[in-house]
Amino acid sequence: MSRRSFPCRATGGELRDLEQPGYYPGYSTLAQKKSWEEATRKTVTERVEKTAPIRFFSQEEAALLGAVVDRVMPQDDRAEDRTIPVLSVIDERLYKNSLNGFRYEDMPPDQEAYRLAIRAIDEMAQSRFKESFTDLTVHRQELILKSLHDGKPEPDNAVWHRMPLHRFWALLMEDCATAYYSHPWAWDEIGFGGPAYPRGYMRLENGLPEPWEKDEQRYEWNEPIDSLSQLEDSH
Amino acid sequence: MPHRLGPMQVLPSPVRRFADHETVDYCVVGVGSAGGVLVQRLARAGFRVVGLEAGPFWDTEKDWVSDEKGSHELYWNDLRITGGTHPLALGANNSGKGVGGGSVHWAAFAPRFHPSDFRIYSEDGVGADWPMSYWDLKPYYELLEREIPVAGPVWFPWGDPHGHPYGPHPLGGVGDVLVRGCTKLGLRSVAGGPVAILSASHGDRPHCIYRGFCLQGCKVGAKASTLITHVPDAITHGADIRAHSMAARISLRGDGRVDGVIYIDREGKEHFQRARAVIVSGYAIETPRLLLNSACPGHRHGLANSSGTLGKYLMAQAGNVVAGRFDELIRLYKAPPAHALTEEFYETDPRRGFARGFAVQTVGPLPVAFAKQMAVAMGAWGWGMRRVMMDYNHWATLGVLGEILPWEDNRVELAEEKDQHGLPVAKVTFNLHDNDKKLIEFGRNKVMEIMWAAGAKQVVQESRYAHLVGAARMGSDPSTSVVDKFGRTHDVPNLFICDGSILPTQGSANPGLTIQALAARTADYLIRQGDTIFYSSRRDQEEPGIRYDLSPPYTHFKGNPRIA
Ligand SMILES: Cc1cc2nc3c(=O)[nH]c(=O)nc-3n(C[C@H](O)[C@H](O)[C@H](O)COP(=O)(O)OP(=O)(O)OC[C@H]3O[C@@H](n4cnc5c(N)ncnc54)[C@H](O)[C@@H]3O)c2cc1C
Ligand code: SF4
Repeated sequence: MSRRSFPCRATGGELRDLEQPGYYPGYSTLAQKKSWEEATRKTVTERVEKTAPIRFFSQEEAALLGAVVDRVMPQDDRAEDRTIPVLSVIDERLYKNSLNGFRYEDMPPDQEAYRLAIRAIDEMAQSRFKESFTDLTVHRQELILKSLHDGKPEPDNAVWHRMPLHRFWALLMEDCATAYYSHPWAWDEIGFGGPAYPRGYMRLENGLPEPWEKDEQRYEWNEPIDSLSQLEDSH
Repeated sequence: MPHRLGPMQVLPSPVRRFADHETVDYCVVGVGSAGGVLVQRLARAGFRVVGLEAGPFWDTEKDWVSDEKGSHELYWNDLRITGGTHPLALGANNSGKGVGGGSVHWAAFAPRFHPSDFRIYSEDGVGADWPMSYWDLKPYYELLEREIPVAGPVWFPWGDPHGHPYGPHPLGGVGDVLVRGCTKLGLRSVAGGPVAILSASHGDRPHCIYRGFCLQGCKVGAKASTLITHVPDAITHGADIRAHSMAARISLRGDGRVDGVIYIDREGKEHFQRARAVIVSGYAIETPRLLLNSACPGHRHGLANSSGTLGKYLMAQAGNVVAGRFDELIRLYKAPPAHALTEEFYETDPRRGFARGFAVQTVGPLPVAFAKQMAVAMGAWGWGMRRVMMDYNHWATLGVLGEILPWEDNRVELAEEKDQHGLPVAKVTFNLHDNDKKLIEFGRNKVMEIMWAAGAKQVVQESRYAHLVGAARMGSDPSTSVVDKFGRTHDVPNLFICDGSILPTQGSANPGLTIQALAARTADYLIRQGDTIFYSSRRDQEEPGIRYDLSPPYTHFKGNPRIA
């Protein structure tokens, strides 16, 4: 995890090394786990307690994709021991060949897609900055990734002529989003109620919290001022 | 530990097992939305029935979780290839695997088709007419609405107006947005249904607890799936439902009749189930795939494909998701994703410049699904993704459900790739045509308008597609369709197809209820025809007359309430 895109300031002060980012301080879905039924409790608890070892990617590949994932799903604001594993979740899916039920006819299998993309991203870094992607500054890493996000690879690479870039980007985003937002710490961050069986919800309207949920406490949350991954309209 | 189907219901035991050499009356391939209803009806009527199901026989307490990522196994995850100008995302977006099929992970919206849906060629010169009318199916709609049962408003004003046996559900935040937006624009809307979700307990099924995990399989047992509504009764009446049994080929005899199904068990071992008739209920992709994989001398282009239309006229509904951000909190994860809709735009309106129309419905993506949608709708990544997700509780999502017409070039074929059993996988090709594009554009803009009218401060949208049907369509002309109006293939007298793939058109209503109603009707037909199905080639096109004595227990209501 590279933490070089910090510090960043919000109205309340600097946001970093947070136990729990987001607008729901003190809210914890895991604190409710005694009221979940057994199968769910087991699935979610294992997700928190066990991180799968890297088995599909080589060390070099893992280092490079790890650096990509740190920018695509940045967690520099989170405390080290509250970082949500993303790379290992992708690695595990590919290792177990756990497919999502289809492949676009113009795409290679997911495993090959990742290997090709890793190679392309490193070549792009070398040719543009004469350095490996992992060694680039955060800003330069973001320059390359932003060009992929925009569908205009800078510099172009032969891989993107073999494999449609927008499909790879979508695959990467889906895998990252699945890993991050399936984690109970992310649920705390966004105020999601989490598993709710057998208890259920009783306050359905007007966004009201259940007794065990928390009300939102908004403040001005700022992403790092120079990041290229901000939403277009957010400033 | 008993095998549980919800917290109260237990799988009846023992489950009957026919011996390998025994010939049964019916072998049903796929125990999903249609297959579940079929095996139940046929078993209750006394036939010897085997249901082959490629996926597991779910124990809902052990196998299902209230968790998005943990529910991956509910879906058909085996390889399929997708292409065309607008390739469809398959997998979790489309079909299930395991007893109950797609009814395990459906959102359970249960509207009926409109009378006009059965005759769009006559009325608008597009698509095709059905070889039957709404009125032929209406008694089955009413019956299934009681059997599964459907909760909803007592007065549903569109199509053939009707009421629902169970009362509507309380409104969640997203439903509130839909009703607010529609009301502002002078559009009628309904809330709290129609959904196949219990608003009060029913037999040994508890009512909904509004936890929002419907697409992850309802552990509560409040949402209907054939796994809990029809399969238990099928087993009580002697059906043999075999999980982890993947049909590989249907076997054709020299006399042009089928005599059974070759399937592969969990260990990869091949079996042959002899049957006097075969019904394929494998979903709009797997059904044509199995028939294409069953090509043999005399049926070189696939079994029952003399028309050349097998695999063609595949349809998906436009399912654009429109998301709106509100200043106030919505908490879209509460309440079932399916709970409010409007069908004000369902019928053709010549002023709009395209045929047919669309519905507007609530959707309620949980965090992972919502993040994926935001990656597309807003191009969110990095810190932008983190920021937009921190506002998760401020967003509401509505879906377009738009009628895409049946086109010959939208199709299922065999790919070169093989699956884990060595069987060629399906290749799905999907292209949008002019009418579809205009309809989608109009529908999307209309839903965005509703979202703004509800008070959203920001509105974005993502294009997607839902609900595959077609690809083995019914019709009265054997040269342009695969099956007749009872699902009997034109080419092979004892081979039937009964699932979403026989739909000639799809309207803008979710297909599940219609698929189950058609299955009950086909079952009545088979029961009335009796043994003649097994030896005669005579094709009787008389309506069978509805049987009211074959419903599962606890579902014998008097009628469907309706207050005009
Ligand atoms: C996320 C989601 C939400 C949905 N929401 C709604 C909704 O709100 N309302 C609605 O009406 N519809 C909804 N649908 C659609 C609905 O689920 C399907 O239209 C319906 O289940 C299709 O029924 P079917 O009988 O054609 O196939 P299925 O229900 O898919 O059943 C087919 C079964 O056959 C099995 N099978 C396939 N091939 C073989 C083989 N070779 N051997 C053995 N077994 C085989 C499969 O494993 C499966 O169990 C939704 C779908 C999805 C994905
Ligand atoms: S919202 Fe209701 S129907 Fe949906 S999963 Fe929860 S209890 Fe079941």
